[in-house]
Amino acid sequence: MMDRYSLPHKVFLYFCVVLFLGFILLPFFEMFMTSLRPLEHLFRSPYQFWSDDFSFKAYSQMWETVPMLPRYIANSMLISISVTALALAFVIPAAYAYARFDFKGKSLSLGIFLAVNMFSGAVLLIPLYKLLRNYGLLNTYFAMIVPGAAFLVPMGIWLLKSYLEKIPRELEDAAFMDGASRLYTLRRVVLPLAVPGLIVVGVAVFLSAYAQQFLFAITFNSVKEFMPLPAGILEFIGYQSVKWNQMMAASIVGILPVLVIFLFLQRYLVAGLTAGAIKE
Amino acid sequence: MATLQLQNIEKSFGPTTVLKDVNLSIEDKEFVVFVGPSGCGKTTLLRIVAGLEIASEGSIIIDGKDVSDDHPIDRGISMVFQSYALYPHLSVFENIAFPLRVAKRPEEEIKDRVNKAAAILQLEERLNHKPGQLSGGQRQRVAIGRSIVRNPKVFLFDEPLSNLDAALRGDMRVELSKLHKSLDTTMIYVTHDQVEAMTMADRIVVLNGGVVEQCGTPMDLYLRPRNKFVAGFIGHPKMNFLPAIVSRVEDRMLHVKLANGGVMSMPVASEGVKAGDNVDIGIRPEHMQLDENGPVSMHVEVLERLGAHSIAYGKVEGDGAFCASLPGMAEIPEGTTIKLSIKPEDAYVFDERGVALQRLGALELA
Repeated sequence: MMDRYSLPHKVFLYFCVVLFLGFILLPFFEMFMTSLRPLEHLFRSPYQFWSDDFSFKAYSQMWETVPMLPRYIANSMLISISVTALALAFVIPAAYAYARFDFKGKSLSLGIFLAVNMFSGAVLLIPLYKLLRNYGLLNTYFAMIVPGAAFLVPMGIWLLKSYLEKIPRELEDAAFMDGASRLYTLRRVVLPLAVPGLIVVGVAVFLSAYAQQFLFAITFNSVKEFMPLPAGILEFIGYQSVKWNQMMAASIVGILPVLVIFLFLQRYLVAGLTAGAIKE
Repeated sequence: MATLQLQNIEKSFGPTTVLKDVNLSIEDKEFVVFVGPSGCGKTTLLRIVAGLEIASEGSIIIDGKDVSDDHPIDRGISMVFQSYALYPHLSVFENIAFPLRVAKRPEEEIKDRVNKAAAILQLEERLNHKPGQLSGGQRQRVAIGRSIVRNPKVFLFDEPLSNLDAALRGDMRVELSKLHKSLDTTMIYVTHDQVEAMTMADRIVVLNGGVVEQCGTPMDLYLRPRNKFVAGFIGHPKMNFLPAIVSRVEDRMLHVKLANGGVMSMPVASEGVKAGDNVDIGIRPEHMQLDENGPVSMHVEVLERLGAHSIAYGKVEGDGAFCASLPGMAEIPEGTTIKLSIKPEDAYVFDERGVALQRLGALELA
């Protein structure tokens, strides 16, 4: 391909990329640096970027300061995975129906789904709280999983619907001609072809579930054993001091699984987001 | 053994009527081709026969049994799609085996029948490949394999060759004709390509605007088109139409005056036509001869020399585009005017409504 950019162009482009990445990544970098510093160095004045007493001590001490930490991490994963599974169980049949069938109120309901997306969970916290209390579901995993999934179903439907629409209808006609039922076709023909799309939706739902669990955890749950990591991490705030370095270390350990998943699946994500953009 | 009758089939999508009162009877082991311009309803008609669409009116009868409300499987019908519709994530073996897997056949039988189908279509070497690794012609054969593995009573083909390049299309045409002979079943084939229709069909159904214009053997349609549409659609290059005015009517002869002043006389049944009527003279390009005293003078703009014959495109005086197919490597400089004549019995005459007058001199087919 022809190189269309002159040198000043390139310099400018790279400058912009560095600026943007810096903006996004510096907090993570600072988080990592903080986790390496001894606590007293955090309050040193003037601020010293580099010091010679960096250590990984915080990574071992944090398990003693907050003994429930493994449980919190496990809870986080459990909640996010359950939310993803539950949301997908609703998203897949719904998206298929929206992609393939014509029915009354189709575009209206799709519009409503989009509108629901505009409300963040925060706006609905109080009604949700009342609802969960009436059903006696406060302080359970259920309280953190079900509302979480409900908020993510509309997004999932929109994402998966557009992916399913790209699967040629003739494939389903052919399966129908061969005697396959709708469900058999969905299972044996449509879903295997939609795997990249399912991964996109799954990862997007998982990440959103991971991000939003904090809000539901601190409002609908006060049982320590059920707390996910973002809420459990508050325990590093002690009566006398805040163990910032250990808190950052715990945060890094907490996001590590998500990071690993993302690294493995990113090629699907990119492929999924650009599917249909070019003629195959 | 499968005969198929379509009775009063109508189909509309909302306010648009796609098919109007289609009646058709297809014999056992017949190869019938639905042909027509795009949007004429041929694919819709095929999908109604398949059971993918439900007719708004009318019934479909296979072997004397009304199957209008039956599932495709119960109709004993299989279909090859225009895009082949192969399952890209399954191997060739699994693609062909798909209908048997749906029917939950025992593994042994599946293996046996898939291998048999693969042998007929020369796909044995390819059974473990994915469709993406195959050439266009091989994909086509896999699609056919999937439809024959079920031993259906009727095969449907929806423009199966339109995705192939010209050379391969010619080969596949021959293959499909052979397949029809070896399988010895009823086949219905949809195409917009009249060459495919002429070469493969036992019988052609010409559709236009949701109506069956004519139904008959290829030579029947070529020699005795019922109207101007069929005459223009069947034959390549297309038939020329010259407007003319009837000057004199005899019992078995019609005398006309062409717009350019030339006169022609043709042996046609001339009932219902009187002197002064406007008619169209249909002339097939392959029936033109160079003749200095001919009634048609043509200004040649482009000459395509194909070796065996040469096709001249140009204009006749006052009447627009004209095409003549001349034998051999005609030496005609582009830009000159040539005189052409036609044997009276080769001409077609269409009355004001576009309906053909019966030709009396055309050679009769056995």
